[in-house]
Amino acid sequence: MTAHSAKAMRGIILRRQIANAAVLVAASASTLFGLFWLAWILWTTVSKGAAALKPALFTQMTPPPGTEGGLLNAFAGSLAMIVMAVIIGTPVGILAGTWLAEFARRTHLGAAIRFVNDILLSAPSIVIGLFVYELAVRPVGHFSGYAGSVALAMILLPVVVRTSDEALQLVPDPMREAALALGLPRWKITTKVVYRAASTGILTGVLLAVARISGETAPLLFTALNNQYWTNNLGNPLANVPVVIFQFALSPYDSWHALAWAGALIVTLFVLTLGIIARAAFRQRHLNG
Amino acid sequence: MDDGAHQPDRPANAREDAPVAAAKIRIRDLDFYYGKLRALKKVSVDFPANTISAIIGPSGCGKSTLLRTVNGIYELYPGQRASGEILLDGEDVLNRRYSRSRLRKNVGMVFQKPTPFVLSIYENIAFPIRHYEALSRAEMNDRVEEVLSQAVLWDEVKDKLKRSALALSGGQQQRLCIARTLAVRPEVLLLDEPTSALDPISTARIEQLLVELAKRYTILIVTHNLQQAARISQRVAFMLAGELIETDDRERFFVNPRDSRTSDYVTGRFG
Repeated sequence: MTAHSAKAMRGIILRRQIANAAVLVAASASTLFGLFWLAWILWTTVSKGAAALKPALFTQMTPPPGTEGGLLNAFAGSLAMIVMAVIIGTPVGILAGTWLAEFARRTHLGAAIRFVNDILLSAPSIVIGLFVYELAVRPVGHFSGYAGSVALAMILLPVVVRTSDEALQLVPDPMREAALALGLPRWKITTKVVYRAASTGILTGVLLAVARISGETAPLLFTALNNQYWTNNLGNPLANVPVVIFQFALSPYDSWHALAWAGALIVTLFVLTLGIIARAAFRQRHLNG
Repeated sequence: MDDGAHQPDRPANAREDAPVAAAKIRIRDLDFYYGKLRALKKVSVDFPANTISAIIGPSGCGKSTLLRTVNGIYELYPGQRASGEILLDGEDVLNRRYSRSRLRKNVGMVFQKPTPFVLSIYENIAFPIRHYEALSRAEMNDRVEEVLSQAVLWDEVKDKLKRSALALSGGQQQRLCIARTLAVRPEVLLLDEPTSALDPISTARIEQLLVELAKRYTILIVTHNLQQAARISQRVAFMLAGELIETDDRERFFVNPRDSRTSDYVTGRFG
């Protein structure tokens, strides 16, 4: 190599090092920018809700205006509706995802249904709230926990369909072929071989869907509404954390504000925990696989 | 195995001057289509029983396709179809009246990449057996040990049968897949480049295993490795662009091929 070309090479390397450093700084700054808001949100919920962060939060009912209390009925109501939404939406979602991935993968009908599901996935949740209001609130004449569960299930469903579909498509075809080559019937291949290979992916999808519905407010405003008291009857209007946050935050009372912030913190931590579990489960799978 | 110079039982193929005595699998005028693409063109070939037959040829010549028609695995995919005759012990398996379950029990298949199920080592073997037979716990344990021993894997895994099959090495996984295939007691084994994803030591172990298994099974192996074909097979079939060019006993095939395309391929002029 001549001295001249060596010098040119040094110039090229220097330029690349500068470009590399610049992009690294920009990427790091962008990451910090995103994390900054997340940290700020968490800090705000902690500091503003601090007054309400005590055992009473989990043992007492939502209080009348201006008095102290907790969010027990709201937590219980949210939990009941989320569990019911999962019970309604998960089997349908997994079965639909199975059909899309295993039996309709290269068909026009499958592509059309996948497209429609994606639209449902991005539908504004208030539209789903209004739809369920017409479907399950107006005919009955009052708001109810059941209606809230149905609305949440309709938001959860497309997430589960999409993630199950993708998790099953990730299972390599040779595994299906190997099972088929043993003479096993399709249903047995799907339930015993393919589901097992995709189980963590499907579970991750369900967890993400639960995280998604646990903060939904708009569909519950039109369906479960709220309830200041404890009720064991899902046919009644049902207290739930998002609507309580919404109402308490709009109120003029400091104790209600504190409860709203504490509720927001708990929901945020819940979603964060689910996200971490989902990631951990998925990573576990990939390390093993 | 001296399946070479028996009395001729048919004069079908003009180039086939050494017909095979006991043909386990007899393929006649087999055409195969991926949609509109014709991947096999009037393939006719015999594979004798208790023999390793190697199918060789350059990439895309249709050798894997030929293998995949023998157990009808292509039926998983819409748009793929075969026509012609594939006689297994005289019965046409392309005829849908030949039950697919029976066909695939009789004809096992091992793939290029190991395909262990996400189950324990034990369950990988036991689960397919349960589909066919109701065995007691002791009988099942015996069968699992029997096939794992046949696949020369037993000593390596006997203390960790409950562990995930995914924790095994690639070579062990492939032997597990062979054991799993043997577990349902097939007569024919189809192997689609079973060692191409493995290291040389694992490859050697599997080749030894196949030579051993050929005493009891009819083995068809697709390989792009000519040395492997020369090492383990008794019969060799050469394919090119969807056509079967030449079939012969190993020695004659490699030393004195009849078709110039075969000698070009064998001597490394293309492929």
